[in-house]
Amino acid sequence: MRKFFPVEDLARDERFNQITMNDRMADQRTVITTDSRPSRAANRIVPSRGDASDAARGLMHGIFVGEIQALEGAGRTCWDFTTGEEAPFELKLDMARQCWDEARHVEISVKLSDWMGSEIGEYAENTVLFQAACSNDPVLRLAGVNRALEGLAIDVFTTMKEFGEVAGDQYLEFAEDWMLADEVTHVKMGSDWLRKITEDDPERRKKALDFQSVVDKLFSYGGTRSESQESPIGLARRFRELAGFDDQEIDVIAKLSLAALEERKAAVLEAQAAHN
Amino acid sequence: MADAKKPRAPFAPWDRRELPGLFSVEESARRVGAYKWCELKLFEALGGWIATVPELDVKMRLGAHCYKHAWHAELWHKRLPELREMNPDRLTVAPNEHMVCFIEALTEPEAPELTIEKLVGVYRVFIPHFISAYTFHLNNTSDITDAPTMRSLRFILQDEFEDWRDGEMLIQSLIETPAEVDRAAAHQARLEKILLAAGGITGSGTIGFSTPEHEGAIA
Repeated sequence: MRKFFPVEDLARDERFNQITMNDRMADQRTVITTDSRPSRAANRIVPSRGDASDAARGLMHGIFVGEIQALEGAGRTCWDFTTGEEAPFELKLDMARQCWDEARHVEISVKLSDWMGSEIGEYAENTVLFQAACSNDPVLRLAGVNRALEGLAIDVFTTMKEFGEVAGDQYLEFAEDWMLADEVTHVKMGSDWLRKITEDDPERRKKALDFQSVVDKLFSYGGTRSESQESPIGLARRFRELAGFDDQEIDVIAKLSLAALEERKAAVLEAQAAHN
Repeated sequence: MADAKKPRAPFAPWDRRELPGLFSVEESARRVGAYKWCELKLFEALGGWIATVPELDVKMRLGAHCYKHAWHAELWHKRLPELREMNPDRLTVAPNEHMVCFIEALTEPEAPELTIEKLVGVYRVFIPHFISAYTFHLNNTSDITDAPTMRSLRFILQDEFEDWRDGEMLIQSLIETPAEVDRAAAHQARLEKILLAAGGITGSGTIGFSTPEHEGAIA
């Protein structure tokens, strides 16, 4: 078995349809709509939204495939690096623990998707999460996956938990709350290891934090996640604090997300004007 | 009311634990070091394979089992200093070169159509050998002096038996043709021969029988 596994080779059965972030960004349907209704002032996934069921199902499928890739990424970190020389034994133990957690999250997501009325493969799988797990430096993986992506997972699960709470769906609320607890643990693992490994290597720490920033920005694409009600997913400040983010770090992500939202809105207007 | 002054035997009549055991401190530490090395190699392989198997149920099982073996490695890592090995890495080694060859052969399959080979290597060869080695250790060490090792062995054996059953059921559900039965058997035989040369996961004498005649048999 090779060290470092390319994203193109991720093994899937025939139900899955994989796309890259480039595919997604190139899809004009994401900005050009034939819907003549005025755009919503609030896009947050809440039961009062007209398309709430579809939006929640789509998000749940995104969570499902994201959990598969998180499982695969943590597993590859167990394999790709030589124990002791390239990655500490204890870090690998944490990654193995994350494998178990992510495997359970896949199981939970499958059951929740079924509960919500969708099927495996009903939506495309964006493989960008695993791409962030392909760095040849374990510290960058921790920054990109555990801090940025698992941080996003905290935001997503908080939004979905609140959705379940408001909708009176105790099944959804229960499961999301449990997954949220695991994600806080994973983000904290990332924060702790990042600080420990780069304690005497400020250059490596800066590189890792820069990489995290790139991944954060990538996942803020379109303002999908921000503190604005115009974003479908909120920013879960309290749980991020529990996971080891300080106020300044959360503020940076909040600003980044809002900027991405504004960029997206401008791009949509531009694309619509060109289309008309 | 019990008589507080009445002498009682230090060992109750039903307590049959014995003092002598088969292993010295050094031998116990050597075995524990080999256990840790093998569990480490196994959890690394299971983690690596997750991205390579297309079957969703297998993917998730590998994730769960990856953690269990990591936890076993951690238990052995913590036990080593208690056995006077203050540098656990020193004893975290393969018992011989054949065992290194075994791990190389075990982790060779990567292609998505080789799930049967991946599972056979783990659940029909490696884990049964863990069960043998751990059972031998459990049944032959001192109940009193080596009780902490025995406690870990019992926890770990419970996992191994559960994982063995999980893996065997997955293999049976994946094998659909006589040709696939042959594939599974051929891969099992290939790996078993390497382990025979290794003498088991702690080397010759893993389960009590020294097998010097086997060493190098297929080298």
